[in-house]
Formats: sequence, structure tokens, C-alpha cells
Amino acid sequence: MLNDALFPFVAIVGQENVKKALLIALVNQKAGGLLIGGKKGTAKSTIVRGVRELCGEQRIVELPLNATEDMLFGSIDVEYAVKHGKRKFASGILARAHENLLYIDEINLLRTELLNAVLDANAAGVNLVERDGISFSHPVHCTVLGTMNPEEGTLSSQTLDRFGMYVEAQPELVTENRVKIMRELLNFAADIEGYRQQNLLATESLAEQIAAARTLVKITEVSEAMIQLAAQMCAQAFCAGHRAEIYLLECAKAIAALEQRNYVLPKDMNEAAQYVLPHRMRRPPEQEQPEEEETEQQNEQENEDNTEDNDETQDENDADDQQQPPPPLPDNVDGENDEEPENDDQSEDDEQNEDKEEPTPNNDAEAQEQVADIDKTFPLPQIKLDLDQDRKLRRGSGKRSTKKTDLKQGRYVRATISSTKVEDLAFDATIRAAAPYQKMRENNGCALNIKSEDMRQKVREKRIGSTFLFLVDASGSMGAKERMKAVKGAIFYMLQEAYQKRDQVGMIAFRRTKAEVLLPITRSIDLAQKCLQELPTGGKTPLADGLATALMTLYMRNKKDAELEPILILVTDGRANFVDASGEDPIKQAIDMAQKIGKLQISSVVIDTETDFIKLGIAKDVAKAMGASYYSLKQLSEEQIIHIVRNIN
Amino acid sequence: MKRVAVYPFAAIVGQEDMKLSLILNVINPALGGVLIKGEKGTAKSTAVRALAELLPAMASVEGCQFHCDPLEPNLLCESCSEKYKSGAKLSSSEIKMKVVELPVSATEDRVVGTLDIEHAIKHGEKKFEAGILAQANRNILYVDEINLLDDHVVDVLLDAAAMGVNTVEREGVSYSHPAKFVLVGTMNPEEGDIRPQLLDRFGLSVIVTGEHEPEKRVEVIKRRLAYEEDADKFIAKYDKEQKELGEKIMQARQVLKEVVIADNLLAAVAALAIELGVDGHRADITVIKTAMTLAAFAGRTEVVMEDIKNAAKLVLPHRMRRRPFEEGELNWAKVEAILDAQ
Repeated sequence: MLNDALFPFVAIVGQENVKKALLIALVNQKAGGLLIGGKKGTAKSTIVRGVRELCGEQRIVELPLNATEDMLFGSIDVEYAVKHGKRKFASGILARAHENLLYIDEINLLRTELLNAVLDANAAGVNLVERDGISFSHPVHCTVLGTMNPEEGTLSSQTLDRFGMYVEAQPELVTENRVKIMRELLNFAADIEGYRQQNLLATESLAEQIAAARTLVKITEVSEAMIQLAAQMCAQAFCAGHRAEIYLLECAKAIAALEQRNYVLPKDMNEAAQYVLPHRMRRPPEQEQPEEEETEQQNEQENEDNTEDNDETQDENDADDQQQPPPPLPDNVDGENDEEPENDDQSEDDEQNEDKEEPTPNNDAEAQEQVADIDKTFPLPQIKLDLDQDRKLRRGSGKRSTKKTDLKQGRYVRATISSTKVEDLAFDATIRAAAPYQKMRENNGCALNIKSEDMRQKVREKRIGSTFLFLVDASGSMGAKERMKAVKGAIFYMLQEAYQKRDQVGMIAFRRTKAEVLLPITRSIDLAQKCLQELPTGGKTPLADGLATALMTLYMRNKKDAELEPILILVTDGRANFVDASGEDPIKQAIDMAQKIGKLQISSVVIDTETDFIKLGIAKDVAKAMGASYYSLKQLSEEQIIHIVRNIN
Repeated sequence: MKRVAVYPFAAIVGQEDMKLSLILNVINPALGGVLIKGEKGTAKSTAVRALAELLPAMASVEGCQFHCDPLEPNLLCESCSEKYKSGAKLSSSEIKMKVVELPVSATEDRVVGTLDIEHAIKHGEKKFEAGILAQANRNILYVDEINLLDDHVVDVLLDAAAMGVNTVEREGVSYSHPAKFVLVGTMNPEEGDIRPQLLDRFGLSVIVTGEHEPEKRVEVIKRRLAYEEDADKFIAKYDKEQKELGEKIMQARQVLKEVVIADNLLAAVAALAIELGVDGHRADITVIKTAMTLAAFAGRTEVVMEDIKNAAKLVLPHRMRRRPFEEGELNWAKVEAILDAQ
């Protein structure tokens, strides 16, 4: 078989906590499965695939990212239907995973609906199938194992919560161990068969240990004291719901069973907490407030005995808070779906998901809930689940969203009956629809006679991002340099994560007599580096021309790729003062142009940097004309721009 | 069948890093492929297509659509594996390794394989129709402009590249087959970046630029003109060089099996990886493998520090973390200092 060339689990150097968590998952299905996070190249997949030799009768069933819904849930047996003219259920991946291990590599890239449907079915213990004229249900009890690299986006906190355990694979930082890893791999590559033979004994003995523990865990007892302990631990960690306690106890039972004990000790509980709590710890309620406010409060305290200068900054911040419409907080951005803390009664969820017209947006934004320092009475694990390194910047980010697409591109996710002419035929679904009627239809020389009513259309889905076009005032007014610098910084930051969010960014500057496209709309950081090396400033303010150029650029862009939603961000103090050949009032010109943009309903934001003593408020009028969100900032910074941009939608 | 003429590999002027990295991957397919970055018109595609001519012959199970290796019972496809287990002899034939192209416009079903529609309609049965990943097994998978590839195609590519197996669960077919390939990609960085996950899968990376010396530029044009005037004559002229290079590659493959590496060199590489803060372990492992292949190409059975350094130049640059305002370039002086300190 293909997998015979796998690196033996027992020979993997290091990653002790990942290995232990996997063993626990193998021993006790009730521990709720395991999610492994970690950077690329930290042996995540190697470890998971290595358990194949350890789990006895059980198999590892893989759920690949290319899976379509019919394959996952099961569907009609086409061959049987053609031959006998009757509908029969052909089981899918979920049926195969029953009583086995279900492995999802790169789980964070799997469609959210699909993943939720899998987790729902497993939680309910049953897969209800209502599709292709088939009505069927079968039990599902499997251990879900997932691996992911958080660099490409994480799972939402609700989804994280549904895994019993979470561990992070860390790269080895001790030279000798790294050498050992390389040596083992070289030995393995040199003689795969021999290497596996060498490790055969250790593999067999570990498999036996697991088998014994599996039997033992069924009779392992949990004392009242341990239940109390579990409750206290979870209360301290501010876990939502009561699943955490159950997972803790089940996990601790497995740990005890692996040590051949049929009773749980406090140390088992402590160890279990390492795996069960990190991804479900919440900030205590009274501390739950936006991070910025916290820092501001700290600032305030510091400021009292600090210089005046700081005081001013503080005032500005306060003033800003009042002037800006506050960006929506990332919490509950999309509360309407998958918010189901207790879910024993949602067995029909997979169908519901299938029926949903709109794909649910990924709501990873909440995934970064983190634990603040807790007053430790128990040795709670050193929590370092840091799914997002620079949390402050990325708070409220939309993450890559998926969108239905009718341009025959994107991933084929399911089939549907089309009301119009079928253009993107879903062959498999069409055949499934036609199969049961073959007995009755006349034979046309083929095994299948397909009629137009059988035709099914493919529903495809594609990840899309947004197009951000910055329009920046580079005229001689105050602060032009800072504006340009801050925008440049923001652009670089956005391009850094462009691979994750699929965003594209461009920049237009206006000064002297006209606007100039400094950076054409792009996803390339290399290009940005080249184009934005020099940022000339100075001269008059041709605001109207800037707006016109922006409109033109977005219009052309839209022709090229209509699927990318454009967003215009204007950074200016609004003091339009360049009179062009027509001799018209520059401010009126600007407002007129802004109205045109507004009519086209292009999402836009105006960041007003007017700092003069007497405010003219032109930028505000422009914003009104464009239908833009309006922010007034005295001190423009990269972080603020990113924060605003990320909260646009 | 007359084959389409291909510009000889040996006739490519300059671009030594690119040529070397391609050759190393042919000698040792376990290196993980190469990413070639550069502007248009820098002979990227020419080099990859030319490589095909140099590729060695290999044993393959006759009639197998995945061209399984009869000598690797661990890597057989389902039907070959069944035959093997039943004790039947797998009849083998010699085929040439080849370059399989994956066009940027390829759809997911063509890449991973799909339901054989014709078969389904005619016979009312489901059958798997193999895709590009099946063709690519044991061959070179070439993706021109890999940074423009659709996201979901990249996803399946990552999956296959990671484990050497393509698992298909779509459109009514459930199938898995070996898909071990050398991934060769080209990209023009100005047209957009490549996802870090995919970047990391590439063992080596090189940057190609146009030749700057006028003499070499003239030579490039002269050869191109000569080739276009009479391809057969031009190819014949490089025949000897091509054969020699081909033989050198075959020898290196043999030598590679004997190459050893001392512990102190492993330690130096480990220290380097820790010091540079690269993600995971793929960087150090690939440096070692590349160094061993370089030694083999030079006909040596022992890796020396020079091999490590040369390997690091090919392996590390694309693994350096890049932050805003950073060029993300490898600080070579630092690398040498770390390695020499060991």
C-alpha cells in the first residue's frame, strides 16, 4: 500500500506534547479529537499519519480539501440505480470514518460549512442524508484529527471549541536535537524498509500499550474530587459552556489509562489541562473590553505624572473617539451562524447547511480570544495559544471570504437544479439524477439516457478579496510627508498578508497640477517596493483630479475583474486649491466628482487630516458627497489606517 | 514518431544557478523541486523544457497509468499493489522521465482527476479518470507562472506535494494514487506573490536575471538565431556535451547512494537554522540533502563545508521571513560567519 513508506511514529524526535495528545485521542474517543497547529515543516502531518500503525483495527480516513458534498455525506448508488431502477444509498467519507479516525490536513482551508457539518454530525452521532432522492441515516462516531498552519488563517473560536484538545507543534531549538532529527531522516531515506524493521518492536509495543489503555479507560473512575477540580479549572479559565469539563475528565482518564491506572490523579488533570484549555480559555468578563481602551487607561495613569506632551496625545485620542463613528467591534460580526455552545440536538444541521444559499463567511476574527493573566491557585498550563501574532493590528479583520461565482472558475462545491439554461454541467449530479429512471427510459445505445430534466448545474465557490485604492493628498500642506509615509506603511502591511486575504492594493497621489498613479493595483510586494521608494510631496492640491483618476482606475479595474470589490480610501485635509483650465471653483469640482463616485456606490472612506486652527471641513463634505465613512485624525499612523481599513465592511 | 525539437540544455548561456538547481533535482528528486524567479525572457521555460532531454530512463510497470516503479513495492498504486501482493510479476519497461506541464488555467478536476463521463454514460458505471497529478507521478511537474495559479488548485497541489499521494473525493469518485513529483515553478515577482505554504514546498529557489555582459548577450542571440535557422544541425552540435552531461547525472545518482556527512556539519546546519529563525525543519533538512547531492555531482562521497555553503545559497533565500520594509534577503556574511564558527 501507498502508506507503507511512512516515517515510524516511534522514531519521531521531539514534539512530545503533540505525540502525547495524539495518544490520548487514540485511547479515548470521548476526549473530543485533536487539533494540531504549527508552522510549516514542524512534522504535523508526519506525526498524524504515523499513528496508522498504532490504532489497531481503526483506520485513518482522510478528508481531502477537494471533497465534494456528495462524497462526504454519501449519495445515491449510481450503478445500482441504473441496473435495478431503484435508489440505494452509497456511503461517503463520513460512513467510512465511523468508529475510525477522520483526518483533515490543512483544516483551516476547508470550507467552513463543510467542516461545521462534519463536526455537527459527529457531535450528534448521526449522519442524516437527504439528497439526490435518497433519504438515509447512519451513525457517526469518529475521532477528528486536524492539522493547520495558522499563517493561512485560523478557525473561528466556535469551531476551535469543538475540538477536545489543541496542541502546537514547535520547531526544535536545541542544536543536538536538530542534528538528531536530520540523522534519523537520512537513515530513513537511505533504507526505508530496514529503518522500519528497526522500529518495529517499539511500534508494536506502543500499539499494545494503546490497546490496553483503550480497554482500561472504559472502567477508569473519576472521583468526586476530580470533578470538583475540573469545574474549578474551567471556571478559572473562563471557559464558555460545560464541554470543557467533560473533555478535561475524559482526557485525564486517558492519561491515567496510558499509565495503567484505573483512577485519575490531580496530576493527570493538570496534564489534561494543557491540551484541553488553551483554545477555550476566555478573558474574564470584567476585563472584556477593547484592547485599545486598556492601553489608553494605562496611558492615562502614566500621563498624570508625565510630560504635557503625552497629555496632548491623550486628548487627541479622546477627541478622536468622539469624532469617529466607532468601527464595529470584531466580536459577533456574524453571530447568526454556528453559535451553538451545546449541540446535542442539531443532528439535521448538515442538511440545513446544504440548504443555505449563502456561504457563511469565515469568522476567524474571534479566534484570537486570549487569556489574560490569571491568578493561579492551580498550576494552570502555561497558555501560549497565540494564533495571531500581531493581534492588535489584525483585530476585526475580515479574513479571506468566499463568494459564489458564475464564471466557471473556482471550486465545485455542489450541484443545483438550474432555472435557466445549464451552462456549467455537473456531470456527476446529472448522472445521479438520471440513474433511477434508466429502467423506464428507452435504450439509446448507451447505458444512460439523459433527459433535460436531469441536468444539474455546478455551484462553484471562489475565494475573493477586496481592492483597496488609496488616494493620498501629497500637496504642500502640512503633514503631507506623514500621510504618505503612513499610507505606504499600511500598504506594505496589507500586501504582506495579501496571500491570506486575497486583497489587492493600489495608490494614487495628487499634488501640484494633477494626480499620479504611484502604485497600480497589485498584489505584489516587490512591485510596491519599487514603485513607492520615493514619495515626492509639495505643491497645490488638485483634489478633483485625484478623485477623477481614482474613479477611472477603479472603473478599468472593474472591467478586468468584476469580482473584486473595490474600496476607495481618500486621505486628505480637503483643502482643494488648484484651479484648472476651466477656472471653476476647485472645491465645487471636487464635490461634484465625489458625487459621481457616490452614485456608483463604490465603498469609500475619507480620512481627514485637517489640523489647522480654523477648520474648513471640506473633506467632510466630500465624504458626504461620496457616501463615505468619515474619520478625522490629527495624528495619522500606519496602525490607524490598517485598523480603519479592516473595519470597513 | 518525430519529436518536436527542443533547445539543448547545454547550449543555454549563463544562468548557472538555475541550471545547477534543475540538475540537482534530476539527480535527487527528493530535494523538493525548484522555484525560478525572474522577469520575462530569461530562458526560464526554455531551461525547464530543455531539461527533459537530459532526463534519465527509468523502470516502470507496463500499462500502469501512474507509471509505478516495480522496484518500490511501497509506492505502488492500487492495481499494481494488488498484483504485487498476489505474487504476480510486474512486467516492467523502460520509459523516460518527462516534464508534465500544469497550465495556470487548469481546473481542479483536470489536476486531481475526475469521473470518467464517457464511461459512465456508456456503461452506467463509475470510473476514475486520471488527471495531471497522475501523469506527474515520478516525473517533473512544471507550473509556469505558479504565482497566478488559482487558490484551490494550489490547495490540492500542496496536499499532493506534501505526502506524494493524491486523494480524490469528488464527483462520485473516491480514489487515491501515488503522486510523487519534482515541482518546478516559475514566477515573475512583480505579478504578485506566492503563498508562503507553497513557497515552503520548494526545496530550492533561484533568481534569474538577463545577462548584463554585452559579449554574453551577443552569444545568447547568436545561438538562438543558429537554432532557429536549423534546429537539427544546432542540436547535433551540442550532442556530445548533452550526452556527457546526461552521463554525469547518471553517475551522480549512483554516487549519491554512497555519500556520507559528518556530525559536525549537521550541527553547523542546525545552528544556522536556529540562528536564522526559519520556520520548521524543512530548511535544514533540505540544505543537507542538497549538499549531499552537490557532493555526488562533483563525484565525491563525502560532504564538505563548501557543499553546505553552496546548498545554503539555493535553499535559504526563500525561507527567510519577510516583514514590511524588509527586503527579505539572505544576509550571506551572517550565514558564513555562523557556519564557520562551528
